[in-house]
Amino acid sequence: MNTFLHTTAGKRHLRLDPRTKFALILCTSFTLVWGMSLIGVMAVVRPALAFVPAILLLFTPRLRVGIVYGILEILCFTAEITVFQSTTGFWNLILLPVCAIITRYMPCVVAAYYMMATTTVSEFIAGMERMNVTQKIVIPLSVMFRFFPTIVREHRCINDAMRMRNITASNPVSMLEYRIVPLIAAVAKIGDELSAAALTRGFGGDVKRSNVCEIGFGVQDIIILLISFGGAFTSILAKVGLI
Amino acid sequence: MENKKITAKDLINIGIFAAIYFVVLFVVAMIGFFPPFMVALCFICPIATGIPFMLYMTKVHTFGQLTIFGVVMGLANMLIGDQWITLAFAVICGLLADLICLSGKYRSGSLAVLGYAVFSIWTFGKMLPLFIMRDSYFQAMGQGYGKEYAEAVLKLTSNWVFPIILVSGFIGGLIGAFIGRAVLKKHFERAGIA
Amino acid sequence: MIRIENLSFYYKRGRSDAGVNNINLKINMGEVVLLCGESGCGKTTLTRLINGLVPHYYDGDIDGTVFTHGKNVQKSTLYELSRIVGSVFQNPRSQFYTVDTYSELAFGCENQGLPVDEIKKRVDETIYFMEIEHLMGRSIFDLSGGEKQKLACASVWAASPKVLVLDEPSANLDEKAIEDLRAVLEKCKSAGITIIIAEHRLYYLKGLVNRVLFMENGQITKEFDAKSFFEMKDSQRISFGLRTLTPPTLSFSESANESHSAVLSNFKFKYKHSEIGISVKKVCIYKGAITAITGHNGAGKTTLLRCLCGLEKTAEGELWLEDEVHKRKKRLKNCFLVMQDVGHQLFCESVLDEVMISMPNADKEKALALLKALDLEKFASDHPLSLSGGQKQRVAIACAVASERQVILFDEPTSGLDLRHMEAVSKVIERLAQSGKTVLVTTHDKEFIKACCHYVLHMKNGEVTANRILKEVEKV
Repeated sequence: MNTFLHTTAGKRHLRLDPRTKFALILCTSFTLVWGMSLIGVMAVVRPALAFVPAILLLFTPRLRVGIVYGILEILCFTAEITVFQSTTGFWNLILLPVCAIITRYMPCVVAAYYMMATTTVSEFIAGMERMNVTQKIVIPLSVMFRFFPTIVREHRCINDAMRMRNITASNPVSMLEYRIVPLIAAVAKIGDELSAAALTRGFGGDVKRSNVCEIGFGVQDIIILLISFGGAFTSILAKVGLI
Repeated sequence: MENKKITAKDLINIGIFAAIYFVVLFVVAMIGFFPPFMVALCFICPIATGIPFMLYMTKVHTFGQLTIFGVVMGLANMLIGDQWITLAFAVICGLLADLICLSGKYRSGSLAVLGYAVFSIWTFGKMLPLFIMRDSYFQAMGQGYGKEYAEAVLKLTSNWVFPIILVSGFIGGLIGAFIGRAVLKKHFERAGIA
Repeated sequence: MIRIENLSFYYKRGRSDAGVNNINLKINMGEVVLLCGESGCGKTTLTRLINGLVPHYYDGDIDGTVFTHGKNVQKSTLYELSRIVGSVFQNPRSQFYTVDTYSELAFGCENQGLPVDEIKKRVDETIYFMEIEHLMGRSIFDLSGGEKQKLACASVWAASPKVLVLDEPSANLDEKAIEDLRAVLEKCKSAGITIIIAEHRLYYLKGLVNRVLFMENGQITKEFDAKSFFEMKDSQRISFGLRTLTPPTLSFSESANESHSAVLSNFKFKYKHSEIGISVKKVCIYKGAITAITGHNGAGKTTLLRCLCGLEKTAEGELWLEDEVHKRKKRLKNCFLVMQDVGHQLFCESVLDEVMISMPNADKEKALALLKALDLEKFASDHPLSLSGGQKQRVAIACAVASERQVILFDEPTSGLDLRHMEAVSKVIERLAQSGKTVLVTTHDKEFIKACCHYVLHMKNGEVTANRILKEVEKV
């Protein structure tokens, strides 16, 4: 009975443990933000970590995102190595920060996107519980996780209604008001109903919850974990000047 | 509601409001893609997130609800690429906000405003890597990137900017809290949501 | 057994739900009890008293005692009660905690801390018993309303409750889904579970319930055994404000077709990454008439409305109104969609402002007159979101009229409404048509179609398969 592995992302061919995904994100952000420029060993480590989410996305139905992101990274890394070393002036000032954000911050956002797209709420809970995180953190985090799609959908409905009614805001404050007030009202209502439903199903009792979601490390997890921690470790060594 | 313990309902509420807060924050932070605005994020974000947070404040009645909100916010931000320092700031700011609101038994409106302003300082944690690691960071930048960019950013991140950004977070929080309270009065209270 | 003694409950200020007073009630094991009555009669509150949401989730003043299977509800925690009582709610969108079907079935058992093997056994048994194999391995966001309600029942069942409480479970379901729901309820009944259902739609419960309680103003005022209830005369039923007790049927007339005044032509649209879409070649509709669009969930009814009012940018198709073509941009300006979740389309801080911003030229006098006509003048300065569902809907209709648009579309305007409110909605819609608007309504509600619609379009797999006349448009 492996059917519960399927999520909104449809059939998955490569399944990672949620803890692997956490580690990947944290190591990527550490390495890419702290990591030195593309000299020596970092010229391998940084691009390598940046490409992991692109490769992982190829194993999901969202492979198009993976391809577009991969191409973007290739362009920006190439630019960082070649163009910016030699250019100065205006274009340097404009393009450089954009490239920096794409090579240093975007990989984490894409890795987070990968996690969101491929992890069910119960896998997420199971992962956190295995790491002995307290329920006081697991519950809000998992609710938050579950609510993102709801917020996006409610936002779309409100947006549609604004278009249909031809409501245009005259200033930024009323813009914020028209969008955010109905959104919060709708989400708060859904949240209220959701927590009532969860509580009538015994959520939040004093008993230790069990979890049917089977998670565990496989070969693919070990590979990703090695890349993640290896990258982070190398970047530390590079930083203190050992490599 | 006088209960001293955090209930499952409270925890779910944290999740819901954290989700809204996070989405608003994320959307506003997009303007940080343009580097000149990056330093202003600490000021701008709390203004926008004031509306959901002040509504959340009306549901806070127990010590810990703001601290946990901070922990959750910090962890969520780490999951999209922030450093551990963000988590540390979010937890400390959440705890301080909790203590401030506790001193008014979670009933005082003005303390809620102050609490939110203090909580808003956590966004500074998102900026902090820029400061702590500044020298080596810019050294690296100078090598890898053009000198001009590094110098431009360096100018914006010299030492005197450091406290200004921190204070701007606080002031942004105050403005956000007042906007949030105005919206609360204008909409949520009258709509029976608060 | 459920025993309620001298119970009164009033919600804390700020909640609009109706309280109950002086309830005395005994429900035996294995009984199936139907709670009926108009909106606001307190039946939802009564269900909440049994599952413990009152007073543990919704605050208020409570007096009297409730025992559910020997447990004093006020003195037990929600967690303890959850082991005895399972609850299914009205809105299938907001009652799932996880996002995949298997975890959802296991959720209740997990919360009880049962061993994993035991949970798996129970979940597998539930899947078999409830015949929901086809729902497994799917995302909850992709299920239809009926499938969600089935899953909700099944996931409650997996935790093996003694009592099942349902609050308007059929409100968002089509006819086929209602049949399925009934089958699920029959299974629960045959397993000896005590069932309490609060409902407006009654006919599908015939032969299932043992006893019917009629509530008014927070009190149980009448009690029927099932037989005498379902044999009640129509006149009596209407005086109670209840929906039909027999499955409603429509009889179409063959009368001559007058010349049509509006044509939808070549509407084509496909959702991204999906096979689902619509393809409507040519459909004639009538100005000043009400056309109902029927069909199962997922047949493309709502999609057609969205395309019609121009919300889907990639949709092809044209609308001809009296020989004037309306392309997408023009439709967006000339059609008004009253959404199913009407709260999404109200933005202002008062009802009056809401109507005023809809007007091409804001005119306070006119707006007030319009509110008066829709029985809303006393809410003019209230916040739109503080109103009840029906009132919100009327505000949206007021905006539609104020915007002077010619085509007015409704998406399921009567889901979850009692008889009185359904009739009120159909009167308002009738008036719209009489004033010369072209009205299209998607609906599952045959009683409503009978009450006011002139034409019925039937949709299947994204195509319009029939366009029939129900009654002539009365000439005013």
